[in-house]
Amino acid sequence: MRSRIYTIISGHFKSWYRSKSNIFWTIAFPLLLIVLFGAIFGNGSTKFDLYLQNQDLTGNVPTPLSQGYVNVLNQTGAFNLHIVAAEQPDPLTYVKKDAQDHNQGQRLLVIPLGFNATIMSGKNATVQLYMDQSDQASASLAGIVHSVTVSYAAAIANVPDHLVVQQVGIVTRNIRYIDFFIPGVIGMTLLTTGVFGAVNTNGRYRELKIIKKLATTPLSKMEWILGMVGYQMILATISLIVILFFGYAIFGVTATIDIYTVGLVVAAALLFPGIGMVLANFVKEAESADAAANAITFPMMFLAGTFWPRDTLPYIMKTIANFMPLTYINDGLRDALIYAEPAQALTNTLIALGLAAFFIVLGSILMNWKEE
Amino acid sequence: MSKDQPAPLPGQSDKIVQVENLSKKYGDNIAVNGISFTLNKGEVFAFLGPNGAGKTTTVEILECLRNPTGGQAKVLGYDVSKRSDQAEIRKRIGVLPQDFNAIDRLTVRENINYFGAMFKHQLDADKLIELVDLKDKRDEQFKKLSGGLKQRVGLAVSLVNDPDVVFLDEPTTGLDPRARRDVWGVVERLRSQGKTVFLTTHYMDEAEYLADIVSIIDHGQIIASGTPDQLIDTHGGKKTLIIRDAGQEGLKQLPQGLPKAELRNAGDIAISLNNGELTSILMSLGQTPLHDKEIEVRRPTLDDVFLNLTGRRVSEEGN
Repeated sequence: MRSRIYTIISGHFKSWYRSKSNIFWTIAFPLLLIVLFGAIFGNGSTKFDLYLQNQDLTGNVPTPLSQGYVNVLNQTGAFNLHIVAAEQPDPLTYVKKDAQDHNQGQRLLVIPLGFNATIMSGKNATVQLYMDQSDQASASLAGIVHSVTVSYAAAIANVPDHLVVQQVGIVTRNIRYIDFFIPGVIGMTLLTTGVFGAVNTNGRYRELKIIKKLATTPLSKMEWILGMVGYQMILATISLIVILFFGYAIFGVTATIDIYTVGLVVAAALLFPGIGMVLANFVKEAESADAAANAITFPMMFLAGTFWPRDTLPYIMKTIANFMPLTYINDGLRDALIYAEPAQALTNTLIALGLAAFFIVLGSILMNWKEE
Repeated sequence: MSKDQPAPLPGQSDKIVQVENLSKKYGDNIAVNGISFTLNKGEVFAFLGPNGAGKTTTVEILECLRNPTGGQAKVLGYDVSKRSDQAEIRKRIGVLPQDFNAIDRLTVRENINYFGAMFKHQLDADKLIELVDLKDKRDEQFKKLSGGLKQRVGLAVSLVNDPDVVFLDEPTTGLDPRARRDVWGVVERLRSQGKTVFLTTHYMDEAEYLADIVSIIDHGQIIASGTPDQLIDTHGGKKTLIIRDAGQEGLKQLPQGLPKAELRNAGDIAISLNNGELTSILMSLGQTPLHDKEIEVRRPTLDDVFLNLTGRRVSEEGN
């Protein structure tokens, strides 16, 4: 005897791959978005992001030579300078976080305390440039910083060697927009396939009396739900693999698939169909349920950080985003796949799994298997 | 049944469906109001009535989709209200819900196997495809079939577990006349195989043509039961003699002393017949200029039965 759950999964899967529009929305559309957004924002600015901390202050005012150095760096037009406050005790950690939040390059130049005095005393002063050697931009950026520094030293003291750039290697993932975007597209795809999949199978199948028919057979409601979730897991895995492969092939996005990724896929395959089931039960007609699904998924897609970082949103929107389940899937996928931040990935995975349990249980309770 | 005889075990009785004083309320609305009937093994039973009469509610109680509010219903000896019995019923019944559609993008064969996989044992899909005459369409996706063919897939799906009783809820509603005839053909084949069939319909001709036993339900109550002939004989009224295209002129040419005659349908004369009157009337007509007109005797139908019992007719749409 073939398992009933297997039959349901295979029935859903066949229905999926035989529908051109399903294939479009699940595979082609996300890829299209990646290409479009990648082409528009993928390379980001032509300037290099550079964080700068000037520790050489007198009172709260930068010393003349340090300020002059900053001005010269700025005048090159090669950098987007992001100033880090001098009192920031751990500038590197600050830069890593801020760069990640704002999708900027993780590079830091530190002008040490005593910079002005050292040069004035005729000794060699050193600035530290923290950057990842594997960062594709590192060679050109270091080159520019170096030549600016040499010419500045020559200009102020006529001794080019007086100013030394000390390069310090740090390990970072220099996140481009496309690296940020790809996990978002995966999250978005899981959201739409999950919610619409459940609305379709529980709303439309009800209209077509397929669920009524199944309820007269030995199939139980739990088996039906497990079949639907199993199918969503397969679809989620396919989406993940296709999108990651495409991201790697076209934009060189390298991702790490780990246990958190698996956890998040499982969570998404429970969470979004759960939401869809809840919707399908409140909005009985398949067409209205479809509209309701659109009304839920679209705002979630935009607010939960699919297309751009949530930090760029107004405060009120950021607060709303905290209540959106997709936020935790998106963040978790970014932490796991791109940022390699296991601690944050774990937190997001656990929140997503908790939400998943809540929605799938609620959806299951609300779903009418028998007639009322 | 005598006291000495043990009660038959569930599933072993010849009484396939036993309904006693069954009722179902939705709030203040009484959908089914204390109905009782029995369906025996091998019978084709038609539950006949207009939309909203309580047919679907009753059949869905028997299919364990709804819980009754009162009374008792047993299917194959199992109580539809008991959870443990419901599981046994589900294994043994075949169901075609009203307006059922199979899965759009699965083929005919895949659909039969899909629903078949829900049961421990399933019949060979190809044999069912043969039974419903869909050999040429077996690998066609369901969504590409016409309404009549779709309904035949539904019939095949309802038979996939080789059920002891098949419930067909309005199986021909919305079909064109030819597709209806095709569905009737399948039901006739089931009857010839000795299958027990419970059919709901608002088509009087369908019940008359297919059913061994008909129960007429209206406003949640059974108002008459019996074989179609019994119902017609009891409630159908008199036979009618029709003289085609006789017109006003014909009325004047009728012999004296005939029962009341009336003109219908642009020229037909209709004469209501009492039992035993036919021969004498035909003989007297032979003496008149009407002797060369086309003459037919029309027997009452279940339509007339329903009209006589309720004072109204059921429309094509079932209202």
